[in-house]
This record gives sequence, C-alpha cells and structure tokens, in this order.
Amino acid sequence: MAKTPSSKITTSSTAEYFSKNLQQVGFSSQTKAVLTTLKEAVDNALDACEEGGILPEVAVFIEKVGAGSIKNSDQIRVRVEDNGPGIDADDIPKVFGEYLASSKFGRGRCSRGQQGIGISAATTWAQLTSASGARVISKTANMRKAISCVVEVDIKNNRGLMKERETIDWDRPHGTSVEFIVDGRIQLNGDAGLLNYLNGTALVNPHLTLHYKLPDLELHTIERVSKEIPEIPDATEPHPHTMKLGEFIAHSHLFGRVKTAVWLKKGFSRVHDGVLEELVKGGVKRNLLEKSVDSLVEGEFKDLFVAIQNMKLMAPSTRSVLSIGEESLAKSIKRLGAVDFFSVVSRKPTICDFKPVQVEVAVARLEERSMEPDAQVQVLRFANRVPLQFDKAACAIVHAIESVHWRTYGLVQPKGAIPQGPYIIAVSVVSPFIKFKNASKETVDASEELVEEIRRALIQAGQRLSKHLRRETKANELEEKLRHIEQFCPILVEGLCRITKAPETRKKRAEDGLIKILGRDTHMAKKELAEAHAVLEAQQEAETQAKQLVMDLQN
Amino acid sequence: MTTSKATSSKRLGDDAIPKLSKELCSRLLTDLERAKRPVLYATKCSLDNARYNQKVGFLTPGPKKVATELNVSSVKKMSRAIFVLEVLLRNLETGAVNTKRELYYISKGEIKHNPMLKPLDFADQNESDDIIDFICEMLECYREELNCYANDRGGQTYSQQLVVTETLPDGDKAVVDLSKLGTTPFQPKNRPQNLKLSARKPIDFCLIVESEGTANTLVANGFTKRHNSILMGAQGVPSNAVRGWCKLIQDQLKVPLYFFGDLDAYTMQNIFRTLKAGSAASLIRNSDYSAPDVHFLGVLPEDIKKYDLSDYPVRENDAQEVRALKKAQDALKNDPFFHDKRNKGLSQILKWLLENKRRCEQQAYFTVDPRDPTMPEKIIVDKIKRGNFV
Repeated sequence: MAKTPSSKITTSSTAEYFSKNLQQVGFSSQTKAVLTTLKEAVDNALDACEEGGILPEVAVFIEKVGAGSIKNSDQIRVRVEDNGPGIDADDIPKVFGEYLASSKFGRGRCSRGQQGIGISAATTWAQLTSASGARVISKTANMRKAISCVVEVDIKNNRGLMKERETIDWDRPHGTSVEFIVDGRIQLNGDAGLLNYLNGTALVNPHLTLHYKLPDLELHTIERVSKEIPEIPDATEPHPHTMKLGEFIAHSHLFGRVKTAVWLKKGFSRVHDGVLEELVKGGVKRNLLEKSVDSLVEGEFKDLFVAIQNMKLMAPSTRSVLSIGEESLAKSIKRLGAVDFFSVVSRKPTICDFKPVQVEVAVARLEERSMEPDAQVQVLRFANRVPLQFDKAACAIVHAIESVHWRTYGLVQPKGAIPQGPYIIAVSVVSPFIKFKNASKETVDASEELVEEIRRALIQAGQRLSKHLRRETKANELEEKLRHIEQFCPILVEGLCRITKAPETRKKRAEDGLIKILGRDTHMAKKELAEAHAVLEAQQEAETQAKQLVMDLQN
Repeated sequence: MTTSKATSSKRLGDDAIPKLSKELCSRLLTDLERAKRPVLYATKCSLDNARYNQKVGFLTPGPKKVATELNVSSVKKMSRAIFVLEVLLRNLETGAVNTKRELYYISKGEIKHNPMLKPLDFADQNESDDIIDFICEMLECYREELNCYANDRGGQTYSQQLVVTETLPDGDKAVVDLSKLGTTPFQPKNRPQNLKLSARKPIDFCLIVESEGTANTLVANGFTKRHNSILMGAQGVPSNAVRGWCKLIQDQLKVPLYFFGDLDAYTMQNIFRTLKAGSAASLIRNSDYSAPDVHFLGVLPEDIKKYDLSDYPVRENDAQEVRALKKAQDALKNDPFFHDKRNKGLSQILKWLLENKRRCEQQAYFTVDPRDPTMPEKIIVDKIKRGNFV
C-alpha cells in the first residue's frame, strides 16, 4: 500500500462535519429545513420547562421576510418563545452554538432531545443561508434584566460565539426566546406540514399552552388541558446487554479509578453482587473484579464483556419511562378537532429489545367528514413526545398499524394497509433509548418486539372503539328499519290491493297488520341497541372504576 | 302454485299466470290482514337442488325451496317483486312484450311519475333482473311466459331443406322456406315453441357450431349445398332462443344433433352442458330449453393427435378458462350431469382437460390442410359417418 503523505490527513471538528452534512439531521429540503428549525426550538423549550418544573407556555411565530439566497426559496423568520427557566449567560453559546454540548447526551432519560445536535444545526443552517446566527433573549429567575445576543457557530472549532450581547428589559420573570432567519419554504398542511407538527405536539403534551401565528392564518391558541407537569423519571444506567464492546470500554472511562466490581454495580442496571458471584463461578477471575477499572487491558475488558453477555440478566427496569396517561390523552385528543368518540390505551411500560418502552395509543373518529371516502386515516406518530413526519413507510408505528385487522373493529381497511375513513390514529412511543433509523429522528426502527408491542396497544384501542361503532351500527340499523317501514308498507299493500282489486277496508286492515309485524322487528332492533349501549356503558364504568382505584392507591 | 314439470308437453295456459299471481297476492294480503308474516316460496335454482333425470336427459329441480318471510330486511324485495309483477301482468293483459333492459327503464319511468315509489328505484339493471328471476322462480314459469325476452342472440340457421311456419300473435301464419334465403340466415325467435317445423327433403343431421363466424364460413363454402342438413351458429353460451330452437329441431324433426366447438372446460360446462341438459340456474325451464340428444362431435382429445391439431396449454392469465378448470373439479364431484354413467364420455373429456391443462380451438381444423377451405367440413362429415363423437 502506498504511504499517504501525513500532511494530507486532516481532522475536522464536529461542527464542520455537521455543517457539511446538514441533510442528515433534517435539513434535506427547503420545507424540511423550516420544520426542523421549528421542531428543534420547540423541543428545547419543552424539555427546559419540564426540567424546571414549569407548566410550558410556548409561542411560535413564523413569517416570510423576503426572498431567500437559495434559488426558489423564501427568507423565513422562525421565533419560538417559552416561559422556561431561562439559560445562564455562559451557557447560551454552548446551547445554541456548540454541537454535542448537551445536558442530555446518553443519560437515559425520556427527554425529547438526546444528543445536543438539533438546535446547533438550526443555528448553522441560519448562518449558512442568511449569514446570521440565532438571536437569543433569555432570562433566569435570578436575573433582573434579560440578556439579548446573537449566537453563531465557530465551525472550525465547534464552539458557540456570542455577539451583540446586551442586557434588556423583558416583561416576564423567566424564559427564552430564540429567533432564526433561514432560507426555506413554508408548508402548512399535509403529513409534513407545520400545522400537523403543532397539533401533534399539542396532542402529546396536554400540559402545554401553545400560541402560534403562521403566514395567512390568524393567531391561534391551544389551551392546556392538564395542569400536571409530567414527572420525568430518573435516568437509569445502561443495561450491559444493550452495549457493544467499544461502548463497554468507553463507559469505564467515565469512572476513573474505581474497582471493576464497583464500576459494574454502579455503572450498569441489573448488575449486583449476585451477578458478580455468577461471573466468578462462570470463570472470571476474582482478582480481575478487585482491580482498578482504569488498569484493565483490552483483553480483560473483552473477557469480562463476553462473560456478561453470556449470562442471563434481569431485563432493565421500566421505571425510567414517562407516560402521557390515558386521562390526559383523552382530554388532549379533543383539541385536534370535533371528535365523535375515541379510545385511548396506555400500555404498561415493558421491555423491547432490552430497552424500556411505553406505548400509548389514541384512536378517534372525527365529526368532520368532508374528506374523500377512501382517504387513509390520519396517522400521528410520536417518539418521546415529538411528532415524526417523514419516512412513514419504514416506521415501526406504521408497520404495526398495517398489521392490525381493523375491519374486525368496524373500520374500512384494504388488505394489509393503513385503514381508511375519518379517523386519527395517534401512537406515542416513549423510551430513554429509542432506536431511530437516522440522525434526524424521523422514523422509529421497526424491530419485531417493538412492532408487536405497538400492535397490542392498537388492538386494545380497536376493541374499545368497536364497542362505540357497534352501538352506532345498531342505532343506524334501527333507524333504517323504521325508515323501511315508513317507505315500503304503503307501497307493498297498495300494490297487492291493485293486483287483487281489493276494497279499501282490506287495504286498511293489511296496513295495520303490516305495521304490527314490522313493529315486532323494530322492537328487536331496539333491544339490540340497548344491549350494545349497555356493553359500552359497562366498559366506561369499568374504566372509571379502574382510574379511581389507581388514584386511591396513589393517595 | 304449479309444480315443476318433467316434460315440455304441459305448460301453463295463457291465463294461468295472471290467475296464479292474483292468488298469490290475495294470500299475502290475507296474511297481512291477520298480522301474520307472509312467506313466499321459490324453487331453489342452484346445483345443490339440481337432479339429473336420466329418463328425460336434463337437469330438473329438486324439492328445495327458498322461503322469503316478510320482515324489515325483506320488505323491500317483496315490495319490488309486487311492483314488477304488476308491470308484467299489465303486459300480459295487453299482449305487450319487453326485453329485460326495457323493463328496467319502464320501472324507472313508473317511479319517476310516482314519487311515492322512489324507495323501489333500481340502481342498475342487475337489480331489476334479479326481481324478474325471483318472480319466475316463485310462479315457476318461464320469463318468456311473462312476455319478457332477452335480446335475440345467436342461433343463425341455414338449411336447404327446412321450412318454418310461425303462428303470429294475431293468428296469421307465416311460412319461411330457408332454402329461399340464400346466404341470409334464419334467426330463431325468443319463443321457438310458437314455430312449426317441416322438411322439404329428409334432413340427415343438424350441426350446431359454437362460433357463429365458423358456421358462416362453412355455409359460404357450400356445406348446406352438399349435405342435407341444418347448420346453426350458437354464438357462445346458448341463449334461451338457441336452446329452445335446438329442442324444437330435436323434437319435431327427430334428426341427430351434433355440437362442434372448442375443446376446453368452459365450452364443455357452460356451452355444451347447457345446450344438452340445461343449467342449474334455469332449472325451471330446462324442460323446454335443452336438447338431450345432442352429441359432442368435437374437438375431441383424440382429434388432436389424429389430425395433428395445434393445441396449447391453458395460460395462467386466461381467467375464464382457469376458473372453468377449477369449476370442472367441482363438477366432477358434485354435478349430477357429469356423474351420470350415460355422460361418462363427457366426464372423461373433463378429466382429460384437468389432467393435461391444454385447450384446442374449433378453428384448429383449418390447420390440417391450410389450402383446402373445405377440410373442416370433410373432417366433420367423416366424424359423423364414422360415429366419432361422444
């Protein structure tokens, strides 16, 4: 092999990498660029509010300010304001201008952001397309005045640069406002539209009050329906079975000079003294566990790793997942529009692919029927309470929806496809370790276990929904029967009388007799309707009782 | 109500249908007056109620009846049936005739002029056709007896010997000598029972050709000049007119009948079987619309080898034939016609078709000697002479 001159090999900063590969993190088209910018800002706002224990109130303003520098694009201002705890002055450039400078990276919590890439990528996009970074105003409770500045990414060194810093008066106790001017195009409607994102965000965040002003639309407010701030469960340590050897070794570097046994017990979930004993019985030398972890050589790490992988360990704890809850979801779904009826299912947290996951599903039928009859139902996908709007076909959620036989529950469904009709199917997957298919977090990887878990939730929701539909069918049947009687009785009797030339008296008697006969049928239909109604009421009663029981237990 | 008849000799008289209809309606009305659910019984016209009567040679209805009890679900069907029956009775009274399509539009017209009847409206012709069939099954009569005819279709007939005498509705008689028609065919009527047949010279046989085009070719090439025969084109699945016409030729002229068509499952089951023994859907009228003496002249499986005919495997995208092959499997198990030992030769052809999954068209006879246009005729006549048919 020819030797490459060492002068030609260069290293790039993380910022440099992402600035050249923004398509990987959601900036692959002009419409996506606007949506991703908005999404990253809103995600950060909501995460900050939850961290600070504040009921979030977020305002979104999007407007066209001129022609963009890229061909066929507009220059768009995206501003997101929140009432979160605010950011300390020193942290502002890190948050908005530095890649991977996150409080969330790999910590195993159910936050929306995970790595600390998104908002810095939005700043980079603004910088690349309109030559100005993010304009930030932030104020914490301890500040008398707010800080206003422009943050830019120092791409060469992956650092945030703060410019035009000044202190200003701001009419709120704490909060953050971030504004980007970016090139892009605004898409309001459709799967990938801004409205879909904002409505979806409202659905899975019942505690959020959202104001938004979009081009050509009036200022709109979606009020919160829950005053409970979701309690974010504590992070869990990683489970050894979810790791690869490299990650395993890298994980040890976080611990410095501690005994290997201590590292294993403190650094991983489901590893305790019993497990260590088993390891020794399985052939791992006891003195290896006594050695300091920073003195282990690669071979020792490998032996240890292989021994742990071959052991049976308890599945990780599911306590780290955060749920929306059936009650909140039920209230929240009504914010999407007038809903005939709906069913919500919150599955218990479970383990899929050795990771704790909780799946929640809401299925609702809309009163609005203006859509085309064979149009697919509206599918809303969420991962850690963030709407997913792209690459639908490959998503675990869509796979699960397609695998359910919706016809059994009264919906129209072409074989093996997404059902049709005026319904919304919303599926939320929450996990501290969601496996996405790409860095822009657009699609949840469709592993068999996860698809099955989502499928079960959907089946439960379908069963509940079918009781509503059954009652409705019975009511329609009754109406149809009554209509039949009114329509056909006179026609039949008159036809018979004309053919037989029967006198008026016979006609009258026959009409009376026919009404009696068909009246018996409608009596049956009324009985069936009452039965269907009773089944539904029993279900609702059982659900209320279950909720009461949970509340009692909590108290 | 009448019972189904095994032979064609006894049919309903001219006034029987109005009388039966009035009796039926009166019974319904009486039941209604007593608040008792009226029930309509109709002969079940399906294969599971079909009996193959060896003596008569066609499929006859079994004892099964379909009972339609008046309830919320059936009140629409019953109302429609009474409505259409009234239209048909009016036709019978005035002597007017209509096709099914015309009746569909007459019904729509009635409904248009009387908004109260709107709920009876037919969305398409299939709906009104079903009601007409329901009335026939209830009264056990032929559609033709209700003055309701299909469009004339198929049955173009050529002969130098045949003379047809038609009794017209006004009692006049029209005599048609087919030898005077040149190359113009005689088209059988919807009610061939009104025709009287005679022969100027003895007729040796009647040949029914599946393809009307091939029948025309044979005539153009002089078939009827050279042979004392009747030659007819069936044009695919035989219409009631063709079926009744064959039956008339068989009964009145007592000449042997031969069918010449494709060698495939569709022809065997849907065309030849219908011509010879009727169909399960028309159990009530098979007695007057089947010619049990007709023989299957070809194409026979052995002809392929003997005449080195061009045959080919059934293609997967040939939906009609693939379906017919599936049906053939069922027919061999359940169809009383193919079960009967007299029709063993025919069921063996079906088995051959199922095993070999090949088909051979009637026009393949033209491959035998492409330069001799009369070669198919020579083969047909030779087969008849040698008794090479089933």
